[in-house]
Amino acid sequence: MVVYEESVTHESSWNADEALTAVYTAHYTSMVRLAALLLRDTGTAEEIVQDAFVAMHGRWHRLRDPHKALAYLRTAVVNRCRSRQRHLVVVDKHMPRSLPDEPSAEQAALRTAETDRVIEAMRTLPEKQRTVMVLRYYGDLSEAEIADTMGISRGSVKSHAARATKSLRQVLEQSA
Amino acid sequence: MNDHPQDPFDEMMRRSLAEEADRIEPTDALPEIRARAHAQRRPVNRRPWVLTAGLAAAGTAAAIGAFTVFNGNANTANDGDAVAGQGSTTSATGAPDSPRVTSASPVPGPTKPPAEDETIAPLPKQKGVPETAVKEASVPVYWTAYRVANTSAAPSSSKSDVRLFRTFHRVSGYPAVEAVRLMSYGKTSDPDYQTMWRGAEVNSVRRFDDVVLVDFKRLPQARLDKATAKVAVQQLVYTVQGALQDNSRPIQITEGGKSGHRLFGQIDTRTPIGRAQALDVQALVSITAPAEGSLTKSPVVVSGTAAAFEAHVNYRATNLKTGKVIESYAMSEDGSKLSSYKFDLRLDPGPWLIEAFLVSNEDGTTVSDADSKQIQVGR
Repeated sequence: MVVYEESVTHESSWNADEALTAVYTAHYTSMVRLAALLLRDTGTAEEIVQDAFVAMHGRWHRLRDPHKALAYLRTAVVNRCRSRQRHLVVVDKHMPRSLPDEPSAEQAALRTAETDRVIEAMRTLPEKQRTVMVLRYYGDLSEAEIADTMGISRGSVKSHAARATKSLRQVLEQSA
Repeated sequence: MNDHPQDPFDEMMRRSLAEEADRIEPTDALPEIRARAHAQRRPVNRRPWVLTAGLAAAGTAAAIGAFTVFNGNANTANDGDAVAGQGSTTSATGAPDSPRVTSASPVPGPTKPPAEDETIAPLPKQKGVPETAVKEASVPVYWTAYRVANTSAAPSSSKSDVRLFRTFHRVSGYPAVEAVRLMSYGKTSDPDYQTMWRGAEVNSVRRFDDVVLVDFKRLPQARLDKATAKVAVQQLVYTVQGALQDNSRPIQITEGGKSGHRLFGQIDTRTPIGRAQALDVQALVSITAPAEGSLTKSPVVVSGTAAAFEAHVNYRATNLKTGKVIESYAMSEDGSKLSSYKFDLRLDPGPWLIEAFLVSNEDGTTVSDADSKQIQVGR
């Protein structure tokens, strides 16, 4: 740990509060949406993203750059979602075939049939594969960015994506 | 990853996920995030511009003098918050020897829980004793601050990273009321400390046989997550019990004489709330003396409490002008619980930042908890 950073005197135009407001305005909604796609639960998604913003505010002095802040947020959100999902899997094993995840009839009606099928098919994927797919197609991240965000190698991103694509194609063809 | 932008599969994935995402419209959470972020502990190495501001304020702060109380070994904050000049505090009936309520979460107190939003009925049967006004007393006020934010992104949803830190203040009038008032105004000389009770307005504090009733004109409006709310409510419990020098009686919270409000959107206030275990809510390391902003002379005796792995409390003093650093460690009295530690520092005249910190016993390098005080050492 750095004892006394003399080097930190260089300017940073934003303080933590300003950074929080700016990054919140630009990215809060998309972060919640990202988390909701990973978790399929908007309430939990909001909670997780809020935690990540609070954490970001706390380390703004180290990030000091909106791009780094965004990368940090993304990693925090994805990691939190992933461990939440792992937890859910454990819980699921002790519960009857779950209802809570089922969308209400109303909500479901708003989806196109195609989206419905894709979202259903995504549910069949293992957690890592699903995360890669969401970051790739919703987050529009590069392979390298996905690797950084998830803390895995680019090779793993590739193979998760390939496997996910293969099984999604299969499932979708069957349901088509 | 737009290797095959024309691929219909890619297009379908994009379209579907975007459509699914668009159905989600989160509600505005900026005020809540901001409130929680403001309880955020500043990092150990503060930013220079904060230091500069702090230095300018140091002189005044010393004049205002956060009335520091240091009574040798009695610094285990768990233990009654004994305060110098305690004879003058409150009605001084002395803390009764009834069993201490220790629970990490709100526990049902001895009184019958009143129904939601009902004026608490069982209490008026016995007469509550209002506080005795005193000319002067020193009261502890508790604040919230985050532990050092070194957490990897791993969620710790069940336990809050927020902890309670304590400062002492000189008050006159009703000690507990004044302490709660200070706590809600958020006036503390230490910039690292915050309050979750901002906006609250206290009305009165009355003692009953088995409960202390704290009535508010207005409760705080902040909404917190559950783990943080549990610590935030203990901020009040510890402050009131500290001012009354009574750790045993649980606190019944009412607003306009009515109980049952859901505090911070989480805490059920229908029943009194007992004191949580110190290790669950208190700072794992804190500096009791010297106080933030105080003007002192070398050698500086630094004291505080810590629950340190192997009783090992690290410290570091940094001269904010010259950058000179003194680092070492002290041993707390007992490595297994919150206990006091103490060390002496020989410091050149000038502004100093004193930090006490604990290192994670998992990797031996990450700082897990810290407290810091900025002082001015005179000639």
